[in-house]
Amino acid sequence: MEALEPLIYAGELSPVRDRMIAELGDIDTLCATYRSRIYRYALLSLRDPDLAESVTQDCFLKAHRARDEFRGDCSIATWLTRIATNLIRDSTRSRKFQFWKTASHTAVEAGAVADRLRSPGISPETAMVVREELVQVWDSVAALPGKQRSVFLLRFVEEMELPEIATAMGLHVGTVKSHLHRALAAVRKAMERKR
Amino acid sequence: MKTGHLSTSEQEEYVLNQGTEEQCPQVLRHLVECAACRTEVARLEHGIAIFRSAAVEWSSQCLATRPQQLQPVPLRRFPIAVVRWGFAAVVPLVLLLLALLPLHLFRLSSPQATHPAVQISAAQISDDALLEQVDEQVSVTVPSSMESLTHLVSADNKSGTASAAAGSKHIVQPN
Repeated sequence: MEALEPLIYAGELSPVRDRMIAELGDIDTLCATYRSRIYRYALLSLRDPDLAESVTQDCFLKAHRARDEFRGDCSIATWLTRIATNLIRDSTRSRKFQFWKTASHTAVEAGAVADRLRSPGISPETAMVVREELVQVWDSVAALPGKQRSVFLLRFVEEMELPEIATAMGLHVGTVKSHLHRALAAVRKAMERKR
Repeated sequence: MKTGHLSTSEQEEYVLNQGTEEQCPQVLRHLVECAACRTEVARLEHGIAIFRSAAVEWSSQCLATRPQQLQPVPLRRFPIAVVRWGFAAVVPLVLLLLALLPLHLFRLSSPQATHPAVQISAAQISDDALLEQVDEQVSVTVPSSMESLTHLVSADNKSGTASAAAGSKHIVQPN
């Protein structure tokens, strides 16, 4: 997790902000540093590799074009996550209206993901139990409402701190915590149903 | 959850604050002492851990198949959306026209029933014209030897009309 460096002069151009903007200006370095993270977030939110790739590219292009608007009050990763969150939300909305579009051929089911999970050194029986657990959690996360799912992913997959998630989502920390509690309760219920 | 154990909310709070300084000391103390609550918390953490492992693994595999450089943003997304919406709007119209087409063909195949009022008036007009034409032909083809008769007929008509008019005067003026 990146530690935020304090700004020297709040509200004015600072060396830290200048350095961040310079980093945003080099789009190749930006992609090399943050691409896997943004792609993972988009992929888990949309569950469509092609759409996630499109959102990731849009995210970096937007960040690059709007780099002068970056105020430097959060890390670049958090800022990129915020842009990606907006793009994912827009993409999800537009996909809701594509009523004629059948499920994407690239959409992945929980079982397929569970089959790909490497589990070295465990017995087939244990692997089967782990697979069942994963399918339960995977489906329950997929069924979460948009904000709960995003908050869950940012906390437990990207391992972001609550204030960072609040900045990335444009929410209060208390709201983020509330969403996380609900998401965890849903995951717990799904796991209990399996037992 | 039984009394004395951590509530589900407390367990979730513990999982949420894992790795931070915000853990409640009482919860931590209880987890050290209570194996049941420890098992519950461990089960939830295990579910999240396998989800994270699978998510990272899947993302890495998907990303490995993608080109490493940024590709040009596909500009065709918006036009395709427009085309799809246009298609969705046109299809019902076409279906409606196809549904109405047999009715239209049926009307075309029975032209007499199409506009009866107009046809009746047209027939009346043609009958009048035909009668006038016959009358003209008859008047033209009357032989000259019978012209006097025609004068008589016309004179009778005129006198008849005059006597009728006189009669009517007589009737109108009884005094």
